[in-house]
Amino acid sequence: MKVSFLIHNAYGIGGTITTTFNLAGALAERHEVEIVSVLRHREHPHLTPHPGVRLRALVDLRRERDHPLHRRPAQVFPAAEYRHRQYSELTDRRIAESLADTPADVVIGTRPGLNVHLAVQAPRHVARVGQEHLTLDNHSPALRTALRRAYRGLDVLTTVTEADAASYRRKMRLPGVRVEALPNSVPDPVLPTADGTAKVVVAAGRLVPVKRFDLIIEAFARVAAEFPDWQLRIYGKGEEQDRLRGLIERLGLWNNVFLMGAATPMEAEWVKGSIGVAASDFEPFGMTLVEAMRCGLPFVSTDCPHGPREIIKDGEDGRLVPVGDSAAFGEALLGLVRDDELRRRMGRAALDNARRFAPGPVVARAEGMLQEAIEARGGDRPGAPSGGGVHRTLVSQGHAARDLARAAASSALRTVRKGRR
Amino acid sequence: MSTVLRTRCTVDADGRITFRLSPPEAARPELVLVLRPRKGLPEETIHTLVLEPDGGEGEFRAVLEPRPALAEGRWDVYLRPGPDSGRERLRPGPRDVRVLVDGGVRDRPSPVAVRVPYTTKDGFLAIRAWLRTAHAEAGPLVLADGAMTVRARLHGAELTEAAEVSLRLRTDKDTVLTVPARAAADGGGTFTFTVAHAQFAGAGSGIWDAFLRPAADATPVRIGRLLDDVADRGNVFVYPRVTVDGAVVRPYYTVDNDLSVEVTDAA
Repeated sequence: MKVSFLIHNAYGIGGTITTTFNLAGALAERHEVEIVSVLRHREHPHLTPHPGVRLRALVDLRRERDHPLHRRPAQVFPAAEYRHRQYSELTDRRIAESLADTPADVVIGTRPGLNVHLAVQAPRHVARVGQEHLTLDNHSPALRTALRRAYRGLDVLTTVTEADAASYRRKMRLPGVRVEALPNSVPDPVLPTADGTAKVVVAAGRLVPVKRFDLIIEAFARVAAEFPDWQLRIYGKGEEQDRLRGLIERLGLWNNVFLMGAATPMEAEWVKGSIGVAASDFEPFGMTLVEAMRCGLPFVSTDCPHGPREIIKDGEDGRLVPVGDSAAFGEALLGLVRDDELRRRMGRAALDNARRFAPGPVVARAEGMLQEAIEARGGDRPGAPSGGGVHRTLVSQGHAARDLARAAASSALRTVRKGRR
Repeated sequence: MSTVLRTRCTVDADGRITFRLSPPEAARPELVLVLRPRKGLPEETIHTLVLEPDGGEGEFRAVLEPRPALAEGRWDVYLRPGPDSGRERLRPGPRDVRVLVDGGVRDRPSPVAVRVPYTTKDGFLAIRAWLRTAHAEAGPLVLADGAMTVRARLHGAELTEAAEVSLRLRTDKDTVLTVPARAAADGGGTFTFTVAHAQFAGAGSGIWDAFLRPAADATPVRIGRLLDDVADRGNVFVYPRVTVDGAVVRPYYTVDNDLSVEVTDAA
């Protein structure tokens, strides 16, 4: 089959980008795969795509940042979407053109706004798979309303956890849309597994408030007091950098806690550690948990919605602690720092248990799902010699008209809302 | 887009570096290490390694043995696919440098030679090398009671009772603050030294570089932090600023990972 991924910006850093590259690369072993990046701001992506994956961009910000159409707000990409400000009439137009001409049998959207594009603009014969890397509960009511309407045009909606799939089934009426959990996959590590001897705790992620790196640092103060030769390394960049630096200074932890800057890929950094940590208030999946565990690290995480508890088995391959409780977090971490044998045992369990997130099993599920979506669409090619062409054209036009009506209605509504402000 | 050729490397406990890569075309390929010259000067120091086929699937391997030591500086890594071809700068694949993380706990004979593979700001593979007759490895730095106390460990020379630490004003080498280096109870070349912030405040603004003189007549040894996996320490090991007597005092690591103290006017 021919598979096309539609992604916000393949040239940045983040969990969605990593997992999309991973899935695309695995599918490229047997299928024709491309990644279409709406935006591009640099020459090379941080991650190297699989050689079989074609990567192209629709709007190159290095040249087109000042394009007149790029200064006008997007109409198709929903206004309630987090990244609406980065979208424009130019992206609306380029995405529409790209979808109209797509050679793919199935297009996979990777964020809500792009899933809307897909649901509204993909040609009739193309199967439409929306991926939700965030969660329904975290979306604003306005976004949920926009998605409730648009997502009916999808064939499949995938979430990264069972919990989120259950939310979609319960709270959104999406007749005819198959809603399924498809966890992110993490490639087989290329480096030898961590052996549990390093006196290093590793955390990674964008330095943003929801990740609660402040809580990890506070918790680590207890470890450093008892085990001054242990260190905590935090990998990532972001708005919280200065505040975290200030916290490290206030707690006098500059000999033990280090802001390492961004590292992509993280594998060579995980294997320098012997415990992985995350303290998010909210984690749609928990990519760093799986990455670290696949390198043989036991993981201490907050038991936040939704991902961690579907990844970690508390007491077996890591620890789950209550959200926002730095004392409990410190205690769980100390338990693993103090006990070399426990740490190694949990590390081995993490390695075994995290194999279910290897590309093999995850890609097999994705492949089956995509194949079924294509078959359900009828599998017919545009212009392919087959009967019933007239009827199909009519249906197709009806579908397009309905979609257009929806899009017009939503933009009219938005205009009204703006008028009120 | 074209595929980028990435080079994996692994460092072992002896400092040996093994490089692995799969060049698309290779007839008698070589890995070329070039010591980055100072701006405007030509390249002078080049080290060539043979790339040998390693298993199947077109993978090649080159080994940089611990000896001879690399000259101090930054070494860029290139591939020359064949005798008649030009060289191409290499980008890093996974760098397995985990054995370097606790490198400070091992004894180092003289000369102290260190190499850390790293990624340059523009995304290429390079090796940071240090080569020093003797080296004083800085450890924990405590800021308390109006003073800075540093614990460090001497490698490649003998610490004597006469050992002292001097901080030299970079712009005027004759302006020196000297404090005793006290040997730690656990021996093994470990010592501590303490400098009161007020000593800097009274002595003037500028950059002060830290040296250890292990014995009365010995050559000063630069104090720095070289013995782990962190090639560029400046933005990672960050110490607080302390304001005292109208001066702001901030210990920091230089671009060469040496320990210095910056003193600026608070106004």
